[in-house]
Amino acid sequence: MGSNSTKRRGDVAAKVVFAASAAFSVFAVFAIVFYIIYESIPALSEIGVFNFIFGTVWAPTKEFLAIPDRFGVLPMIVGTICVSLGAVLIGGTMGVFSAICLKAFCPKKLKGPLVAVINFLAGIPSIVYGFFGLVVIVPALMEIFSVASGKGVLASSIILGMMILPTVTSMTKDALDAVPSSYYEGALALGATPQQATFKVTVPAAKSGIITGVVLGMGRAVGETMAVMVVAGNVAAFPTGLFSNIRTLTINMVIEMNYATGLHRQALIATGSVLLVIVLALNLGIGIARRPKKYREKKRAAKLVAEPQPSAPPAFVKSGRGCTVLKYLSIVCVALVALALLTLVIFILVKGLPHIDLQFLFGESGNEGMTLRPAFVTTGLLILIALAIALPIGICAAIYLAEYSKRNSRMVRVIRLFTETLSGMPSIIFGFFGMLLFCEFMQMRTSILAGGITLSLMILPTVIRSTEESLLSVDNSLREASLALGAGKLRTTLRVVLPSALSGIITAIILSIGRIVGESAALIYTAGAVPYEPSGVMDAGSSFAVMMWLFASEGLYIDYAYATAAVLLIVVALINVAVWLVKHRLAVKAFGSSGKRAERKTAKIKEAK
Amino acid sequence: MKQTTQTVFDFSGEIAVKVQSLNLHYNSFHALKDINCEMRRNAITALIGPSGCGKSTLLKTLNRMNDLVEGCKIEGTVCVGGVNIYDKRTDVSLLRKNMGMVFQRPNPFPMSIYDNIAYGPRTFGVRKKSDLGEIVENSLKAANLWDELKDQLHKSALALSGGQQQRLCIARALAIKPEILLMDEPTSALDPISTGKIEELCEKLKEELTVVIVTHNMQQAARISDDTAFFLLGELIEFGNTEKIFASPEKEQTLNYISGRFG
Repeated sequence: MGSNSTKRRGDVAAKVVFAASAAFSVFAVFAIVFYIIYESIPALSEIGVFNFIFGTVWAPTKEFLAIPDRFGVLPMIVGTICVSLGAVLIGGTMGVFSAICLKAFCPKKLKGPLVAVINFLAGIPSIVYGFFGLVVIVPALMEIFSVASGKGVLASSIILGMMILPTVTSMTKDALDAVPSSYYEGALALGATPQQATFKVTVPAAKSGIITGVVLGMGRAVGETMAVMVVAGNVAAFPTGLFSNIRTLTINMVIEMNYATGLHRQALIATGSVLLVIVLALNLGIGIARRPKKYREKKRAAKLVAEPQPSAPPAFVKSGRGCTVLKYLSIVCVALVALALLTLVIFILVKGLPHIDLQFLFGESGNEGMTLRPAFVTTGLLILIALAIALPIGICAAIYLAEYSKRNSRMVRVIRLFTETLSGMPSIIFGFFGMLLFCEFMQMRTSILAGGITLSLMILPTVIRSTEESLLSVDNSLREASLALGAGKLRTTLRVVLPSALSGIITAIILSIGRIVGESAALIYTAGAVPYEPSGVMDAGSSFAVMMWLFASEGLYIDYAYATAAVLLIVVALINVAVWLVKHRLAVKAFGSSGKRAERKTAKIKEAK
Repeated sequence: MKQTTQTVFDFSGEIAVKVQSLNLHYNSFHALKDINCEMRRNAITALIGPSGCGKSTLLKTLNRMNDLVEGCKIEGTVCVGGVNIYDKRTDVSLLRKNMGMVFQRPNPFPMSIYDNIAYGPRTFGVRKKSDLGEIVENSLKAANLWDELKDQLHKSALALSGGQQQRLCIARALAIKPEILLMDEPTSALDPISTGKIEELCEKLKEELTVVIVTHNMQQAARISDDTAFFLLGELIEFGNTEKIFASPEKEQTLNYISGRFG
């Protein structure tokens, strides 16, 4: 009896720990939202909410103006909306069409490489995109349109479009994959061509998923900082044309923060609140789009055969020119995406690789001469700190979601919603939150520790999602076998289920490393942007991407910026390969025919029937 | 669009479908072995046999739905309405317009009842509302659904019962005026009453067109078909008049199967 009750107590304690970890992301979202809003209250009350949001002049330093007249963020709100819509127009459409092409019109052999291209695009750090925009897109636009400056709305939209494309494509592809193939076959059996079946049946059936993907992409565009900052022009004015320089909310936050004080500083935090509200509203939109909705009946009157027509029966002729055009459009989209990636990679590698030498990598770095050396130490420490915090919490949360709660219960849905919200938050918001809470309130100052803790919040959703997915894919018979041998729930989970989910955890670690290596906006005000080497975790330090930003923002180091970009691209490539290896090799080797291979086998058997 | 020379089907002959020395491989698996048979016009031909014997595969070769299956190789000829459908120049889309297909599980599109039926005609360029309305009404009437559904044409097809969905799929297939209707175990997912309704429908349909039905249910084959083909492990064991096959089969395997000794 005694041992039995201790066992039970252990089980209960474990369950509490798991539940608390799962609740952590809910807590984190609330903490971020409330803390940012709380810190904006002084500015908002002094300026006035209405004046702040609808004020058209942003001139914090013109002190001869009345306070409500010089803190208006409307130009930035309009700028943000403008470039986000532009990004959706470019990246969203191309993303949707690319996914359709991948699903329906792409030869089997090309599918794998193209999916890899999309994944690669998703992994490229935003500062690299921004830099690519600056050195390739902006000059190209100047050439093509013969304008004085290529910066502005169009350049920002193109770069943001490239950045959101992978999100939109992968979401659209998931949605299309979820459409039962019987719809497609049914349409073919009625004589529809493959393109007619795809565009008239499959795509409409995946509508809600596609919309979700586009909105999610829009959320990313709204929150993106570093990439737009480089190409937007950063003038706080209303956009008047494709090449008018604009400033988004995120840019406003990041470029003035390092010298702002007093009300000006508070107003920047309040800018963060406006950004948060927009992003949360988009998240809400996703929630609504995702909800399984009943078929909406059309209010059309059902008068079909009002009067018998004496005319001859209609002739059946082949049609569908439109769908064929759409098909070729989607193929063009995929080709463009592949071409864009190729241009980016080749351009950066060609310009960057020759400058990678020992001096660049390991030379002394300081104010007199910057090298990449500090970034190795800093990034390493950041990775260690972030993983040390996020891994235990994330794994415990995933265990709670997958093992201890009822599938799709309200609780699980709430936690999932908040985890998604957390993953959709702009990194500059994390940066501000970290700066306010860890650096200032907790007095860690600008330090690698503060940066690492901030990053742990950012990678938490990835850890939870990846671990949960692989926990859910563990065969139930394993759990039953363990339970049947008299093992308790905790023991079963920790000894049998969790080890089987190892590949998911490793994937999470690799993805997190990729995210940390490429992160810049969240780190500038938490871990700092300094050129010298840190001597400990309480020192400031720059990660790879921040270092690249430092190189790129000073004309002297443009070659080093290329070189860092090349290093980052190589890291992204390595990470993609590692993830692929873990998913395809490790999973199969370690656990027999688990996962995709088994699926393919059963599919083949079914087909043969 | 690939401009093929117009394929002309001629269904005035006595034989609607003619299969000659047909061999089919799924990768290394020999699924159909040297099949020869003919399907008569305005008759119901039933394809029976145990699971995995190749009857559904044969059905799918008739409207080239096997094109979707990877690693599927076909030798021999299949003539539909006098056209060799595996000829390179055959317009597959036009072939499928002439060969309606009803699947094992009802597969209405996630659209309204009206749009489901109008899908086929719209694919073939019918745009006029009055034309579409007429086609929808006639097809639903032909599938014995009009009286049940005429007041809810703009409801989602997914809200119908399984039996209604299957008859809707039949109506959808009829809307493009096929000459041949291919049915792949159309009642295997349905209750007995719905099954009865669909069998009744088949009898009615054969006056207008040719029906080829795959079924697991031997009573069903005996009840509704004129000709029966019995398959076993990819081979056509016996083919002929239904009454004769069920009363006095020539082959022992056929006898064993219809008397329930295996299957």
